[in-house]
Amino acid sequence: MDGDDFLQRFMLFIPVLLSLTVHEWAHAFAAYKLGDDTAKLLGRLSLNPLVHMDPIGTFLLPLMGVPFGWAKPVPFNPLRLKGVSMRTGILIVAAAGPISNAVIAIASFAALKVFLSQPDVLGEGGMFLLMFLFQVNVALCLFNLIPIPPLDGSKIVDGLIPDVARPAWEKFCQLGPILLMGLILAPLLLHFSPISWAIQHFIELFPW
Amino acid sequence: MKPKLQTFLFWIVLVGVLILFFASNRNESARVVPFGMLESQVQTGDVRSVEIEGKRIRFRSHGRWYEVHGELTEPLLLELQDIGVEPKYGSFSSDSMFDGSRGIVTIFVISVVIFAVLYFIAKMRAGTGGMDLVKLTKSRAQDATGHNKVTFEDVGGCHEAKELLGDVIDFLKAPQRWTKLGVRLPRGILLEGPPGSGKTHLARAVAGETGAKFYVVAASEFVELFVGVGASRVRDMFETAAKNAPSIIFIDEIDAIGRRRGSGLGGSHDEREQTLNQLLVCMDGFQHDARVVVIAATNRPDILDKALLRAGRFDRRIKMPPLTRADRADILKIHTGKKPLGPDVSVQTVADWTDGMCGADLESLANEAALLAVRRARHESSEPVLRQQDFRDALKPRNEQTRLFDQLDSVLIESTSQLSEPTGRAVVRLQLRDGSSVEGNVLWADATFIKIARTDGSSLLVPKIQVLRLEAAAGTESVARDNVSEDRWSRGRADLG
Repeated sequence: MDGDDFLQRFMLFIPVLLSLTVHEWAHAFAAYKLGDDTAKLLGRLSLNPLVHMDPIGTFLLPLMGVPFGWAKPVPFNPLRLKGVSMRTGILIVAAAGPISNAVIAIASFAALKVFLSQPDVLGEGGMFLLMFLFQVNVALCLFNLIPIPPLDGSKIVDGLIPDVARPAWEKFCQLGPILLMGLILAPLLLHFSPISWAIQHFIELFPW
Repeated sequence: MKPKLQTFLFWIVLVGVLILFFASNRNESARVVPFGMLESQVQTGDVRSVEIEGKRIRFRSHGRWYEVHGELTEPLLLELQDIGVEPKYGSFSSDSMFDGSRGIVTIFVISVVIFAVLYFIAKMRAGTGGMDLVKLTKSRAQDATGHNKVTFEDVGGCHEAKELLGDVIDFLKAPQRWTKLGVRLPRGILLEGPPGSGKTHLARAVAGETGAKFYVVAASEFVELFVGVGASRVRDMFETAAKNAPSIIFIDEIDAIGRRRGSGLGGSHDEREQTLNQLLVCMDGFQHDARVVVIAATNRPDILDKALLRAGRFDRRIKMPPLTRADRADILKIHTGKKPLGPDVSVQTVADWTDGMCGADLESLANEAALLAVRRARHESSEPVLRQQDFRDALKPRNEQTRLFDQLDSVLIESTSQLSEPTGRAVVRLQLRDGSSVEGNVLWADATFIKIARTDGSSLLVPKIQVLRLEAAAGTESVARDNVSEDRWSRGRADLG
């Protein structure tokens, strides 16, 4: 079954790749709509997965079985934003990514609900695929919403935080990358993944 | 392939494979059928395989799995054995999702993996190699033969330069006259002068006048990030010039690569020095072509490597002299030739007013005056005509201060970047307008201030406006040198009084 296992993993890599592509595209699109065409000029405003692929985050991790990854970050120049303040602009562009994943998650959830009553239309495999798509997008959405730099969530918080709390926030941000490393490596050390746990519980909250 | 098309295809293929893979299992889940169907299928001999798990029997027929509930009877078992089917006992293997279309998918997967690997290898190589390596070593010299319509008549002043260059052009056109007396063509001519004195302009005139091939390149175009590229570009340039001999090469701003080897802050100037060495060799090494003449322009002749300036290479050094009144008048005549001048305009008078200005300054002066004339004509709705007053007005914004700062800056830059000791600091002596004097190390200088660290440790911020005289006292190249030339622009002093 080893061949089968690898084959399945490879197949499941495709939804991850496509979800990541949509995520990065959403960032570029939001930026473009707000006036910054840096990403577009560099060819990143495209749904072409090749454009956003990153050797480690897009290939290595998913193929190792890790149910997420990352794509090359979209270049963004906040100085080129028109009509919004820089902070709000960064907030919107950063939020666009997780929102796109949320949309896909909700859509697949809806589809799942519809087809749960008639599983034979899609078959076992089809349902499995939908479920996986749902999980991946929930995972991507939640993960990116974590308010630790350099994740999108931190940029969102940055745009919302009141000036009173700024200094504390900045201090927190400095620890950011280390915290993130810890969060990612936790499964290895503690045999427990806080990320997976959180995602599982979140999924359970859905109106199945 | 168009990017949008590529994207579209990508998605179609990926999603298609995905669906194919996961839906191929759709028909795989065993359909529950009445027991009778098993019997009939066995009788017609269509059953391919049978699996039994407890009270459930699954059989494969016509490429599909079916499930029945019950037990195999003896006659049924015998009939199965007749058609060569051995029932398997144990958990159902057909629960696996992959079958049938697995072959296609596997092939697809393997080809994708191979493609991905190749793609990334290619990208890695492209990332470090940059552009096509062959092109990188080609010289960037542009062929400017007969390019411009500029001739010697369009260049005012610099008579000595025009004479010598005229000789060169003639030599290349009709060498017999010269070789009869055994005259050797100068291999290199160096045009020296402050910015704006017409060096590049003169080169354009040469390009316009000569019948020989004319190549123009800026010295900084030789240097690139990769070591060795500069040297190969120099070689390539000389090869091209030799192939098309007789030819003239014009290297603008040669001080970009021609600096003294081994001097200045830091040691790693390998690339520049290699390029310079190659240039030296090409000009007068073991092999060189006698019918290639190199003209170079610079405004920093003092920092050029001595080997570059020796006889046999750039031995003819022509200074673009400061313009005399007559020169300025000539230049002004050239620049106002095409402009409609009023009857009261006297070029001689304007030449009087513009003492110290160089060719480029005069050109922009004429331009400014014309601009003012057009502006006036628009207001008065009349025909634009240049008047003497326009020239007067155009001269007004000439801010003495900025010129002074230029001189000051050039000495400062020279002193802090050409230190004789790599880790030393430049010591300068400043005389201020109020009579006091400051001496100390230059910590930094920006557009309007200089920061000096005095010997007692304190630091002082001096506005450049207040500086009357700046003298480099120690630690700089120009002080370390024995013979300080008398050129206005290579002395380590700026007199601003």
